[in-house]
Amino acid sequence: MSVQVATKMAEVELKDVGKDKLTVKEATKSTSGNLILASPVASVDEKKPVDSSPQSVNAPVVVTPFPPATTVPSVNVIPAMAVTAAARDEVAVAGGEPVLAPAPSSMKLPQASAMKRSDPMQQQQRHTGNDSIVSPDGMVCEAPRTVKKQIQFADQKQEFNKRPSKIGRRSLSRSISQSSTDSYSSAASYTDSSDDETSPRDKLQKNSKGNSDFCVKNIKQAEFGRREIEIAEQEMPALMALRKRAQGEKPLAGAKIVGCTHITAQTAVLVETLSALGAQCRWAACNIYSTLNEVAAALAEGGFPVFAWKGESEDDFWWCIDRCVNVEGWQPNMILDDGGDLTHWIYKKYPNMFKKIKGIVEESVTGVHRLYQLSKAGKLCVPAMNVNDSVTKQKFDNLYCCRESILDGLKRTTDMMFGGKQVVVCGYGEVGKGCCAALKAMGSIVYVTEIDPICALQACMDGFRLVKLNEVIRQVDIVITCTGNKNVVTREHLDRMKNGCIVCNMGHSNTEIDVASLRTPELTWERVRSQVDHVIWPDGKRIVLLAEGRLLNLSCSTVPTFVLSITATTQALALIELYNAPEGRYKQDVYLLPKKMDEYVASLHLPTFDAHLTELTDEQAKYLGLNKNGPFKPNYYR
Amino acid sequence: MSESVVGTKQAKETENAEKYGMAVSKSASKKVKQIQFADEMQEFSKFPTKSGRRSLSRSISQSSTDSYSSAASYTDSSDDEQSPRQKQQVNSRGGSDFCVKNIQQAEFGRREIEIAEQDMTALVSLRKRAQGEKPLAGAKIAGCTHITAQIGVLIETLCALGAQCRWCACNIYSTQNGVAAALAEAGIAVFSWKGETEEDFWWCIDSCVSAEGWQPNMILDDGGDLTHWIYKKYPEIFKKMKGIVEESVTGVHRLYQLSKAGKLCVPAMNVNDSVTKQKFDNLYCCRESILDGLKRTTDVMFGGKQVVVCGYGEVGKGCCAALKALGAVVYITEIDPICALQACMDGFRVIKLNEVIRQVDIAVTCTGNKNVITRDHLDRMKNGCIVCNMGHSNTEIDVTSLRTADLTWERVRNQVDHIIWPDGKRILLLAEGRLLNLSCSTVPTFVLSITATTQALALIELYNAPEGRYSRDVYLLPKKMDEYVASLHLPSFDAHLTELTDDQAKYLGISKTGPFKPNYYR
Repeated sequence: MSVQVATKMAEVELKDVGKDKLTVKEATKSTSGNLILASPVASVDEKKPVDSSPQSVNAPVVVTPFPPATTVPSVNVIPAMAVTAAARDEVAVAGGEPVLAPAPSSMKLPQASAMKRSDPMQQQQRHTGNDSIVSPDGMVCEAPRTVKKQIQFADQKQEFNKRPSKIGRRSLSRSISQSSTDSYSSAASYTDSSDDETSPRDKLQKNSKGNSDFCVKNIKQAEFGRREIEIAEQEMPALMALRKRAQGEKPLAGAKIVGCTHITAQTAVLVETLSALGAQCRWAACNIYSTLNEVAAALAEGGFPVFAWKGESEDDFWWCIDRCVNVEGWQPNMILDDGGDLTHWIYKKYPNMFKKIKGIVEESVTGVHRLYQLSKAGKLCVPAMNVNDSVTKQKFDNLYCCRESILDGLKRTTDMMFGGKQVVVCGYGEVGKGCCAALKAMGSIVYVTEIDPICALQACMDGFRLVKLNEVIRQVDIVITCTGNKNVVTREHLDRMKNGCIVCNMGHSNTEIDVASLRTPELTWERVRSQVDHVIWPDGKRIVLLAEGRLLNLSCSTVPTFVLSITATTQALALIELYNAPEGRYKQDVYLLPKKMDEYVASLHLPTFDAHLTELTDEQAKYLGLNKNGPFKPNYYR
Repeated sequence: MSESVVGTKQAKETENAEKYGMAVSKSASKKVKQIQFADEMQEFSKFPTKSGRRSLSRSISQSSTDSYSSAASYTDSSDDEQSPRQKQQVNSRGGSDFCVKNIQQAEFGRREIEIAEQDMTALVSLRKRAQGEKPLAGAKIAGCTHITAQIGVLIETLCALGAQCRWCACNIYSTQNGVAAALAEAGIAVFSWKGETEEDFWWCIDSCVSAEGWQPNMILDDGGDLTHWIYKKYPEIFKKMKGIVEESVTGVHRLYQLSKAGKLCVPAMNVNDSVTKQKFDNLYCCRESILDGLKRTTDVMFGGKQVVVCGYGEVGKGCCAALKALGAVVYITEIDPICALQACMDGFRVIKLNEVIRQVDIAVTCTGNKNVITRDHLDRMKNGCIVCNMGHSNTEIDVTSLRTADLTWERVRNQVDHIIWPDGKRILLLAEGRLLNLSCSTVPTFVLSITATTQALALIELYNAPEGRYSRDVYLLPKKMDEYVASLHLPSFDAHLTELTDDQAKYLGISKTGPFKPNYYR
C-alpha cells in the first residue's frame, strides 16, 4: 500500500479472533489494484464482510485471504498506522479527496506537520491544541474531514489485535494510540517528503559504505531514523545495560539471526544490541504496515540487511522474508519471529535450514500457538522459546500497563472525573485487577463481575463488591469490560443503562460489547470526537461508547517504551539462552523462558527505579537451599 | 501457650478476655511451663504458609489465648494427675471408643463448635449440598490434625457426608479438650488431649489406626506423622487405602520424598499449595494481622511512619498494602528481581536494608530466610524502632545476638521487650522475634474455613476418583475443586457470581462450570 494521495482505505474487521475468523473488507478508492492482505493464522474459515462502520464507503470489496498467511498479529495493529499515515498524506495534499465522513464531528487528529517525539512540550501543546479543535460544531480547522474518516478506518484496523497481552501488537500501538500517532506522524512525514511511485524492490540503493544488501523505502531517511533510535535507547536502559555487560564476552558471537518483527525504533535498539553481542542479523517486517521507513533506513545505513518498508504488498512481504533467509554464503542459525510467518516460510521453502538452526524465539500469541501445533504434530524440529508467557512480560502487558491506560484512555476521551463515580468492571483477571486498582485509587466505587470463583474471591478480599451485571447496570456511570469473552455487555444491558453512562472495552478485540446490536434504526449515533460516539435512544438517553467497543488501551492511550523494553530484553535473553544452551538442554519442543532469565530481565530494569536489590549471604542461600544468583522462585510463581 | 499468659497478666488482656465473655484462666502460673513449650513447638512449622500451624495460632494468639484459656480452664477445674489413658470414660450413649481428658466437658466443647460453625458457612453448605448423595459413604478416614473447634466442624461435616472418622492430634499441646470431649460425646473416636507425652502421642495415633474390625481407607494428615506411623507399623493398610490428604508443608515435603524414592504406594493430595488456601494464608491473612499485631502490642500510629518490609512475596505484599493504606512510607528489600520489580511497579522504594536502617520507625521481616536483621542492623537503628517478624519461625531476626551483657532487656508488656543499649537507645522487639501474626494477632475462622473446606473436597475427590485418575504420586488439588472451595465462600460476601452463557462458554472454549483458568494461575 503505497502512501500517496490516492489512498486506499482498508477496513478490516476481525470479528472473532479467537476462532480465527477473519473478515477482510477492502474498500478501494483509487485506481491501482491494491490489495490489502490480511490473513489469519491458522485457517480462514469464515469470512463475513462486516460493515461495522455505517459511513464506510462502498467500493469494490476484495477479500484476500491466503493460507500461509500473515498472522493475525501482523495484519494487526499496523494497518491502523498505515491508514493513519495515509490519512495524513491526504492532509498534506489536502482537500482533493471526497468527503466521506457523515457526521461533521471533530476529533483529535494526527497531523502531518512534523512533530518531534523528542519535544514533549510541543506534544503537550498539540494535545491541548487538539482538544481545542474538538469544538462542538465539529469544525476542524486545518484538516479536511476526509482525514477523520480515514482515521476511523485506521482505528478499525486495530481489531486485529489478538489479545491485550500481545505486546508485539502493543508495540505497534505505540504508533497508533492517539498521542503517539502524533509523534509517529513526524516520522512518517519524512517518508512522505520522499514519496515516489517506485517500489523499493526496483530501486538500487547503497548506504554510505557502498553496501546494497538491503531494501528499504529510502536510505536517505537514515538520519531521521537514527534520531528515533537514539530516543528509544534512552527509554530502554535494560538493553543498553545488556550491551555493556555482555560486550566483553559476546555471547552471540557466531549467531546468525534472521528476524521478522515489527520494525520500529524499539526493535532497532534490539537489533543493534544483538549485533553488539556478536550476532549477525538479517531482518524483515512481520507486518506490511508497521515498518517505520526511516528506522529501516537507519538500520540499513548501519550495515544491517533490512528488507522492509511501509505498505508492502503481499508479494513484497514474502519477497522480503525470502531475501532475508535466502542468501548465498549465509545461513541463519537462530530465528526471532513475531507471528510465525518467517518460521512458516523456512519450514515450507527451506526445511533443510532447520538442521543448522539452534532455536526459534517467538513472541506473539499466534506464533506460539502455531509452534505448539507443530510440536503436537511432531513436526517441530528445533527447540523454540515462548517469550510471550514470561512472568515479567505478562505482568507488564496486562496488570501494570492497563492499570495506567484505563485512567489515561478515559481521561483523554471523556475528561471525566473518577471520584465517587460508580464503575462496574467485568472480569477480574490481570487486566481487571489493574483497572480496579487504578479506579479505586481515584476514589471510584468499583463493582466487579466474574465467572471464576477464585478470581471472584480475590475481588471480594480486595474490597470490591461482586455483582452480576444486571444488578448494577441501572446505576453505574462507567462500564468496563475485560473478560476476553464475547457479548458481555449486551443490548439489553445497554438499554437499561442510565443517561450518560460510559461504555468501554479493555479486554479482547471488539467482541465484549455487543456493538452490532446498537446499529438499529431507532438509535442515533453521533460522533462527538475521535473515538467517542454518543448513541442516542429515542427517549433522548445517551450512552457514551468509546472506540466503538474496541480496545480502549490501544485506541485511546499509549504503550510506554518501558513496556516494550521488557519484551525486547526478554527476546534478547531468550536468544542468548537458546544459542548458548549446552547440547541436550532443549529438545524439539516449545519452552518457556527459564525462571532465571526471567529474573534477569526484571533485574535489568531495576536501575530505572533506582531500586537496590539485596543479595543473599552465603549462609542465607544455604539456609534456603537456593543459589545466590537465583532462580529464587518455583516456575509457577507469578 | 504464648507468653500471653506468662507472669504478669496485663490488664489489657483481662479486658480482652472479658470482652470475649470468657473466663480468664486462674491458674496461669501453672500453665506457664507448658505454654512456653508449646510455643517452641511452633517453631517447627517450616514456613509461614503452614496453615496447619496457623490453625494452632487460634489457640496461641493473644485474644484467642484468652478464649482458649477459657476452654483450658475447664480442664483446670477438673484437673487431676491421672492420665486419660488410665481413665475409663463412657459417653452418654455408652460408647467408650475414645480417649479424651474429660468427657464431661462435652457441653462446653459443643458450644465452641457451634460458634465456629457460624463462620464456616462453606462447610455447612457443603453438608447441605452433598447430604443427599453422601459422597463419602463408605469412607473410613483416619485423621491426625490439631483438634480445635474448626476441625470439629470439619470432622462432623465429613461424618455428615457419610464417612466414618477416627481422629488423633498432630500436636501434643494443641488439643482443645472441650472440643475433643464434644466429638467423643457425638460418637466420634477421638484420641487426644492437651499435654500428651510423646509416648501418649504415638499411642493415640496407634489407637486411631489399629481398631479391631475397622481399617482406614483414607488418611487426613497434618505433618505426616500418621502417614509415617502407618507406613512403619501397618504397611498392609495401604493396600486398601484410596489416598492421603496432607495439609502441612512438612508433611507434603515428606510425601514428595517418599514419592521420589518410589515408596509412595497410594495417591496423595497436597492441599497446602492450592491457590485459594495460599492466598488466604499469606496475602489476606497477613495483610490484616500486621496492623492488628502492631496495634495490640505497641498502639503505634502508622500514618507517616517509615517502615521497611524485608521481602515482597505474598506475605510482604500483604503487609505493604496494609501499611501503605494507613499512610506509612514503605520501603522494601528483596533478593528476587521479579518480586523487586513488582514492588517498584506497586510504588514502593526497593532498597538495601543498610540504606534505610538508620531512619525507619518499624522493621518487618517476611523473607522465610535467616538473619535478615543482624546485630549490626539493630545497632544502627534509631531509638524506639519497632522490630518484628511476620515470616518464618524465629530465624529472621538474629535475636540471640541481642543476648549480650551490654544490652538490657526489659519486658514492658506481654510480647513486647525493650532492649536498651548502653547509650540509652531502646529497640522494641515484638514476640522475641517469633511470628507476630501468630503471637500477637488472631487467625480468623474464615481462613481456617478455607483450609478445612479444601481438605474436605480433597477427600471427596480422592475417594470418588475413577480408577486410574490418580496413581502413586503427589497431586495438587484439581483447579476445579479449588474453584469450588472459592465458590463456597462467596456467599459470605453476598457476592453474586456471573455465569457464562452457552454461547460465551463455547467462544472461550471452556466448560460453563469451570475450570476457568490454567493450572498455573494464581
